[in-house]
Amino acid sequence: MPRALILGGARTPFVKAGTAFAELDVLDLARAATAEALARTELDPGQVDEVIFGNVARPVAYHNLAREVVLSLSMPAGIPAFTVGLACASACVAITSAADHIVTGNADVVLAGGSESLTNVPLTLTPRLARALIAASQAKSLPAKAQSLAEVRLSDIAPVAPGIRETSTGLTMGESAERMAAMNGIARRDQDAWALGSHQRAAAGWDDGRLSAEVGPVYLDGHAVTDDNHIRRDSTLEKLGTLRPVFDREHGTITAGNASPLTDGAAAVVLASEARARTLGREPLASIRSYAYAAVDPADQLLIAPAYAIPIALRRAGLTLDDIDLFEMHEAFAAQVLSTLVVLEQNGVGRIPREKLNVMGGSIALGHPFGATGARVVLTLANEMKRRGARYGLASVCAAGGNGAAIVLERAA
Amino acid sequence: MIASADRVAPPSTAARPSVTFVPPDESGVARIVIDRPDDRVNALDVRVLEDLAAAIAAARVASPRGLVVASAKPTQFVAGADLDMLRGGSQADAEGASRAMQRVLDDLAALPFTTVAAINGPAIGGGLEIALACDVRIMADAPNARVGLTETRLGLLPAAGGTQRLPRLIGLPRALDMILTGRQLAPRRALQAGVVDEVVHPAVLLRAATDHALRDRKRRAPGGRSLAERAATWLAPARAFALRRARAQTLAETRGLYPAPLKALDAVATGLTKGMPSGLEAEARAFGELATGETARNLIALAMLTLRQRKAALAGLGAPRAIANVGVVGLGFMGSGIAQAAAAGGLRVRARDRDAAAVAKGLSTIRQLTTDAARKGVFDRRDAARIVGRVSGGDDLTGFANADLVIEAVFEELGTKRRVIEELERVVRTDTVIASNTSALPIGEIARGARAPERIVGMHFFSPVHKMPLLEIVRPAGADPDAVATAVAAANALGKTPIVVNDGPGFYTTRVLSTMIGEAFVMLGEGVSMEAIDRAMTTFGWPVGPLQLVDEVGLEVAGHAGETVARARGIAGPSIVNALVAEGFKGKHRGGGFYRYEGKRRTPNPRVAELLKAAPGPVTEDLAERLTLVFVNEATRCLEEEILRSPGEGDLGAVLGLGFPPYLGGPFRYADALRQTIVTSLERLAAAHGERLAPTEALRSRRPFFGL
Repeated sequence: MPRALILGGARTPFVKAGTAFAELDVLDLARAATAEALARTELDPGQVDEVIFGNVARPVAYHNLAREVVLSLSMPAGIPAFTVGLACASACVAITSAADHIVTGNADVVLAGGSESLTNVPLTLTPRLARALIAASQAKSLPAKAQSLAEVRLSDIAPVAPGIRETSTGLTMGESAERMAAMNGIARRDQDAWALGSHQRAAAGWDDGRLSAEVGPVYLDGHAVTDDNHIRRDSTLEKLGTLRPVFDREHGTITAGNASPLTDGAAAVVLASEARARTLGREPLASIRSYAYAAVDPADQLLIAPAYAIPIALRRAGLTLDDIDLFEMHEAFAAQVLSTLVVLEQNGVGRIPREKLNVMGGSIALGHPFGATGARVVLTLANEMKRRGARYGLASVCAAGGNGAAIVLERAA
Repeated sequence: MIASADRVAPPSTAARPSVTFVPPDESGVARIVIDRPDDRVNALDVRVLEDLAAAIAAARVASPRGLVVASAKPTQFVAGADLDMLRGGSQADAEGASRAMQRVLDDLAALPFTTVAAINGPAIGGGLEIALACDVRIMADAPNARVGLTETRLGLLPAAGGTQRLPRLIGLPRALDMILTGRQLAPRRALQAGVVDEVVHPAVLLRAATDHALRDRKRRAPGGRSLAERAATWLAPARAFALRRARAQTLAETRGLYPAPLKALDAVATGLTKGMPSGLEAEARAFGELATGETARNLIALAMLTLRQRKAALAGLGAPRAIANVGVVGLGFMGSGIAQAAAAGGLRVRARDRDAAAVAKGLSTIRQLTTDAARKGVFDRRDAARIVGRVSGGDDLTGFANADLVIEAVFEELGTKRRVIEELERVVRTDTVIASNTSALPIGEIARGARAPERIVGMHFFSPVHKMPLLEIVRPAGADPDAVATAVAAANALGKTPIVVNDGPGFYTTRVLSTMIGEAFVMLGEGVSMEAIDRAMTTFGWPVGPLQLVDEVGLEVAGHAGETVARARGIAGPSIVNALVAEGFKGKHRGGGFYRYEGKRRTPNPRVAELLKAAPGPVTEDLAERLTLVFVNEATRCLEEEILRSPGEGDLGAVLGLGFPPYLGGPFRYADALRQTIVTSLERLAAAHGERLAPTEALRSRRPFFGL
């Protein structure tokens, strides 16, 4: 069976929304990650067969973000490109689609990534205002136009921010995570400890160069943004303990400190067939061994699906949890990570040792640009597997709607 | 089907006319199609003119509802007159040629039905004049489509009624701007100026032209868009004012050295004041005078050299390799300019500088250069975004393994350059060409110690890169001919005119320039004032005087180049420059140099005279002659020593790179024209100032540099 190889990749620094990348939109970030990924894999863009990008908050201007990446970077115009959406696991879909296309012989080199600007979230109009404006634009006469607009109320003028509530449950992400914490008995102190670990490991990753190695600077007008800016080096359990719960002020456990922040950033990886990697003389980081998507009822535990995707991906790989040397799990909330570990154990899949999991921190410290996170965890995992000479690695990402993704990587050589 | 039959048995070219009349179709619109046989481009020559006259006569007889004038060349309308037409003719011949073109286009203008020009590509010079003789002009929104009357750039003037019809169409002020500067307008700007009536997608051009031929009426030329423009065109006092101002400006810009713009101005003025027949008369007479004059001959020769150089530069070299990806090391002002030119030329660029901040600064310069060019209409906004999209950068050599050509533009210091080459050799492919951008360091020295020195060549860019049209390619001994050819191909891709020179201190351009500047330093030592030197040179036609130029370039760079050249030639080095640098005078923007700069004011730096200890003396000789002849003499020495391959490349390098006065055609053409005078003068100068000024053997031999 042919395998899809990960040749390499790069990401932009991940920065808190509204900070260093406030002037950039989702395309600017996607371009920066793509250009850097191409440079690092020493690829001529002409060798790329396909570009796939994940993105969640889609600006109306980019019907197909991936295609805009191709065109705005002056890559050959003949490269087809498409954009995928699976909420926070969007870039996982980009990567597994790329792998499928390569394994089935439909492509030899695919650039897959994800990008998100949570600073520049597209705002929409209230349905009443939108209907009225469209009716007015279609009306033939001026009085008819005025008539169409007559029903609009003052409150309709304010734009609507994109939904952060689950459509089916009406709960926000945080409320859903609170519910998971309660159901799995995850204490506030354990969540804070997890968050602290995430920051400490991320800081160590930057200090020893492992994390900086995956990041390419973004050049703004006259200056360069080189670092992630959310990592808190001065965090302590005491400080985290003083933060007030955000979603359930009375009985809650989830604070700004043990949840992932709103983040701007992008990441991209280059995948290739074994034959092409050989012709190009590139040494891959890892190969895609298997993957799985799973879903649960959002009304139950919204972010628990990775606990179900992981055993499926392992079964498809013919492996057990104990075979895995290294894990990268997206940290939407410390409560969600800890819940996933509990459920994996409850269901008999196994126990993931802390020393193998998120060894350079996770989304709580690094940040979580929705569309990009899937590519970030795969890139981080592949790089670290290469450094350690690890045989197997597993990446997982939870997503809105009760979805979850798991990808098993294997040492390429 | 007909086309395939043609391919099997091509009709004899003598049988196929250059211009065809296509009788009216069912809509009632006829066409005149211009298609010069055996050439990629349509250029006006005697046959095209005769065939056009016949087609116009046929059109008058057919009396269609309307007429479209079009070109059968893809994305080419008519690119101007065939310059070979002018060669060797007398003044009367040239005047006659102008009258003949005027008559044919008068006939076109006099047709009693609506005529529409379908401009599908460049309509330059005579090409635009054909379109101006039509009632309506429709232009395709093609990337290469331009309209312009560029004759004054060749020392000529529009001679097929262009000086008459353009001001009547778009008004005196805009017409003068186009005619006197030779400016070419892209479709949107042509529409804004009123030169064309509509801009459409190329695929729609013929349909749109046909629609206009059916719909539009014949009409009087408006003489401009705005009231002010019309007043300047039709009202005598306003017109006189506009003409006076244009004349004063032209005189200031040409310093009276270039007759063509003034003659064009006269023809325009005569036509508007005394009527079109007088204007056409003035136009034809002026054309006769200009076409046989020395200036036009020299400017045309330069234009032909430039045109042919794209291919000629490759002569005797190897096969150029394909270039798609370029690496640039060093993103200072020079490196940024190089990267921007490469991206604008369609190449993909990966750039490196020492840290992220330097990369960010360079990338923002590239963005700025591109936006500025877009604002000036060099390309449109979307192209600008694409150009910027082709450039990425980093603080290491990531992405360079993929480069077909790497150009290093780091600090001009041998050790630094060698270190960069060593780094590059570790990462680039074995067939990657490495080019060093330097104005004086011998490439052989830079390449010494390299693992594969044969792929290292010199690419001497001129500053500012986006404005300067020349690129001096330096071929060190033992260079791989394919590598040199690749550098030439890269120059072509960057839109620069390449000259190929052999390696040596200062190559060609820096060597002649430094030698001339060195002589200016000697003059300073003799007590001549720097203002007298600089003024004499600009009056002679140089863009700036030598001392002002040193200030612009920077004293350290100029001093370093001068030192390199002087040492090799065994003449005195630029000690005055070193002395000034030691006192902190490093250039125009770096503490001043030979001059002091306060805002816009420029005054001589008194320290210069003090350092030289020279007593000011009266000017007793022609300063510009002495300096220019030193330049010419050194250029011929470069040919003797085979630094230069040909006198043509010597002329191109001098004019395009160093500002040698174009009306003289370049040092070699100048030498051919005034051989005896030059030799005598140099002998006199050598007697007065030293043997370094003695004429070279190449000059004394009296063999012309250019055969006839």
